[in-house]
Amino acid sequence: MRVLHLVRHLCVSAALFTGVAVNGIGDDDIGGDPGSDFGVTVTVNELNEASRFASQSTFGLPYEDIEEIAKTGRDRWLDQQFDIPPTFHKPIAEDLITRQDEGEWQEFVDNPFKLRNVIHRFAWWQQTMTAEDVVRQRVAYALSQFFVVSDRVEVLRINPYSLTSFYDVLLEHAFGNFRDLLKDVALSPAMGLYLSHANNSKANPERNIFPDENFAREVMQLFSIGLYELNIDGSFKIGPEGNPIPTYDNDDIREMAKVFTGLTYAGEGHYWGRNWFWHDDTEVFSLPMIMYENYHEQGEKKLLNGWVVPAGQTGMQDVELAIDNLFYHPNVGPFFCKQLIQRLVTSNPSPAYVERVARAFNGETGSPRGDMKAVLKAILFDTEAELLGNTSSFGRLKEPAVRIVSLSRIFNYTSDSGEYYNTGYRLEYLTGQHPLSSPSVFNFYQPNYSPVGEIAEGGMVAPEFQITTATTVIGVTNQIGLAIFYENQAFHTWHPHFETPRIDLTDYEELAANPGDLVDRLNIVLTQGKLGRATRDIVMDVLDKVEDHKDRTMLAIYLVLISSDYSVED
Amino acid sequence: MISRRRFMTHSCGLGVAAATASTTALTLGLTRSVSASTTDGYKALVCILLAGGNDSYNMLLPHDQDQYDEYTKIRSDLALDYDSLLPLSNQSESGRSYALHPGIDEIRQIYESGNLAFVANVGTLLEPVDAVGIQEGKARVPLGLFSHSDQIAQWQSAVSYNRTSTYGWGGRMADLLDPDPANGLSMNISLSGTNLFQTGYRVSPYTIYYQGDGANTVWSFPQFWSNGINAHTVIRDLLGVDHDNMLRREYSSRLKGAMDNYDTFVDAIRSAPEFETEFSENYFSGMLKQIARVIGARNTVGQSRQTFFVQYGGWDHHDGVVNYQAAMLPIVSKGLDEFRSAMEELGEFGNVTTFTISDFARTLTSNGKGSDHGWGGHHMVMGGAVKGGEIYGTYPELSEDSPLDVGRGVYIPTTAVEQYFAELALWFGVGRGNLDEVLPAIYNFYSPSGGEAPMGFLV
Repeated sequence: MRVLHLVRHLCVSAALFTGVAVNGIGDDDIGGDPGSDFGVTVTVNELNEASRFASQSTFGLPYEDIEEIAKTGRDRWLDQQFDIPPTFHKPIAEDLITRQDEGEWQEFVDNPFKLRNVIHRFAWWQQTMTAEDVVRQRVAYALSQFFVVSDRVEVLRINPYSLTSFYDVLLEHAFGNFRDLLKDVALSPAMGLYLSHANNSKANPERNIFPDENFAREVMQLFSIGLYELNIDGSFKIGPEGNPIPTYDNDDIREMAKVFTGLTYAGEGHYWGRNWFWHDDTEVFSLPMIMYENYHEQGEKKLLNGWVVPAGQTGMQDVELAIDNLFYHPNVGPFFCKQLIQRLVTSNPSPAYVERVARAFNGETGSPRGDMKAVLKAILFDTEAELLGNTSSFGRLKEPAVRIVSLSRIFNYTSDSGEYYNTGYRLEYLTGQHPLSSPSVFNFYQPNYSPVGEIAEGGMVAPEFQITTATTVIGVTNQIGLAIFYENQAFHTWHPHFETPRIDLTDYEELAANPGDLVDRLNIVLTQGKLGRATRDIVMDVLDKVEDHKDRTMLAIYLVLISSDYSVED
Repeated sequence: MISRRRFMTHSCGLGVAAATASTTALTLGLTRSVSASTTDGYKALVCILLAGGNDSYNMLLPHDQDQYDEYTKIRSDLALDYDSLLPLSNQSESGRSYALHPGIDEIRQIYESGNLAFVANVGTLLEPVDAVGIQEGKARVPLGLFSHSDQIAQWQSAVSYNRTSTYGWGGRMADLLDPDPANGLSMNISLSGTNLFQTGYRVSPYTIYYQGDGANTVWSFPQFWSNGINAHTVIRDLLGVDHDNMLRREYSSRLKGAMDNYDTFVDAIRSAPEFETEFSENYFSGMLKQIARVIGARNTVGQSRQTFFVQYGGWDHHDGVVNYQAAMLPIVSKGLDEFRSAMEELGEFGNVTTFTISDFARTLTSNGKGSDHGWGGHHMVMGGAVKGGEIYGTYPELSEDSPLDVGRGVYIPTTAVEQYFAELALWFGVGRGNLDEVLPAIYNFYSPSGGEAPMGFLV
């Protein structure tokens, strides 16, 4: 593991080194032909398009990688990304646990700052910062806001394998099929614990005990079909009385709850009612849950849209049929795809955009139903994604966690030891957000959140504003300041043995001799060529007052990062 | 106390209540000037959201032997031991006796001292209904029953006839009472971020931290001042830039607003008097302590009416309900008592009313590990203005064939959220003639023109 990181790190350094050589943006405001030094023709326009593509499909990439996308072409580059095997998170947890078991970090075994409590976060940051499968990691993160589990539940926090294994399910199927994703999420032990269908037993009417309805409800409301019947473009179908048509009622939930009975944790020596507290046991939280027929509700179950689970099937056959029932529901395409568009591209996709992506989901563009690659291509290559800013409600507010990862990647946070571990505590305190730490299964924000004022009055939504309060909007601004001006403060670890990565702005400092060049470069990597004239003028005025190139560089980056031009991508 | 008969009398049971409310007001001969809203003196409402759905049938329990036996039979493995319960004196009009969860003795004491009341079996309703009506499909019930997101929204919006409310009843009160505070500080202050309850058409909640002075501003990093640059001037210039995109405008406005409010708010809170009451070192008590500090600074903050919002989550106990409640209810109990003590020190206990809301109570029957989503639940109101030591509303008679049971021991509410909130809103200063602006469906359950209190738990 460690050797691998070192190798990666060297690659990054090499890229940085060559990066310096291509810094010569021309004298005019939007730059000349920055690729000409290499003899490869890449126009500023192409760089901006590549940068926008990177911003939508990844956590953000440094200039060299943006240039690479521009040279390769987005289609080919995305296909290359599809072919990279997943960089899983669980191996990091295994590595850290093994090393602690073998004697490292003994002072953090039992004290309140247990290493165990943050290992899943260390894994998330390590892989999110270093993995080569940059699109897969970004899509998995988007999926983690659709299929929500959270380390605010103690069991999931203290078992390093639970959330890493769950995330690996998202990574594994990010370019696979939605049905596999839904099924593996349903059988995931982390989800089984979070929504309590692990150890969910059949009814015992004499004792007034009935199946747990928790997962049955949320798998419909949140993970597949939503509350109301949808048209293919994501709009509500309207019933004869002029109202939206609910997709299910409480009786449907109770039927679905019967399906998800009899599941419990797997692993060596498993038994019914096995609990979570074997927290040292990798297997319990790494293997899909298994079915105990004796605790599975027998008999017929009525599913949605007239589907029936016949009596006499095995429990797992029941589960498969229920997953099919949801997967083939006509709502899934528009319901899921609209939210994925919101996470990656825009809060307010037009109905036509949703429809085009939903048709790709439905298999109408030549791929199988539920094919994630087809969905992602439909989202990222849609004309609406590519022609940003053509309406005043387009785009999305970048969420705090994405902003911090993004600046760390774009501005070359590097680590000699190859460690990119982060407790995330500072980010969480200042911004109220940390990946895999949603306050509830309803994610950090809801897809239809509409801020009071012109956005609500215009009938538009902007989910990320739900966590943009007086405290967090200041907090994220200060977290960005710490990350840039203090060079290593995007990351936080109380652990003295772990290195904190540091920002490396060498190549930007070279540009700072001419502030215009510096701002032009930032305009490419951060704002895709759309930094507003007024914002640019304010930044330039500041830079004119500063002699030191390092100060200039930091001030320019900070000001663009906190501006609304960058905070909201349109 | 509202009898069932009265409850029915006042229900219109018609379509969209908001549409009917104003016409009803006219037919009742109300004019808005007769009973105008007032903001004299100082008053605050503290809303505590027990998010996730508190299993309140294990918080306030029947204590007569026959009803306790029914309780045990229905709750099965979730039933609490009779001998562990804390009995309440001064029983309800029904003559029934009740008891509390063993972990909330502070709450019992405040109740006994007359400063805390329970409101039984409150929930979202469109009209009074029974289980038969629901089974036969005749009864109209709120959309999205038993769903967290819908019920948590309907409790905060006091609008049970849709699933898409943008405004809450605390926000509507602020729109009415104090839409344009002179110093720009919202009268609605949240310790728990964005929330529907405090969001109005014009007023949004001001969010503060529970730590430190509650607010922060953008730091001025050395690279600014060492080069002779005023960071805040530059940033304010940046935020003053015009944008075509409405999301960008919104972002600039929020960051600028946060910087402006900081200057006013922190000056005020630093002027707050110290109090001796010691608060527990936990998140819930920490939030209440910060509220106490803001109330202490009320004269400097400058708002004569304030609402505070506290969300204490983690009550969705499908699993481990008995153990988790045993850990969490005492935190609520101690926190409320500490807050009471601080308010008494400040001499404001009579002007500050604290009340709970929650998504729903839970199924009385078990799922073998915990309980699932229910409907009506029991709530607490605390303050010097509360006519405490009583249980208001109707605590259902528990029985396996209760006409209120819609299945699995989910009880139909016998008091609508509108009735519960109307009592609070009128006390807060909302005029009787304005009540439907705050609670659009109030006329379905209560007629403000009668002069009678909606429930009677406040002076």
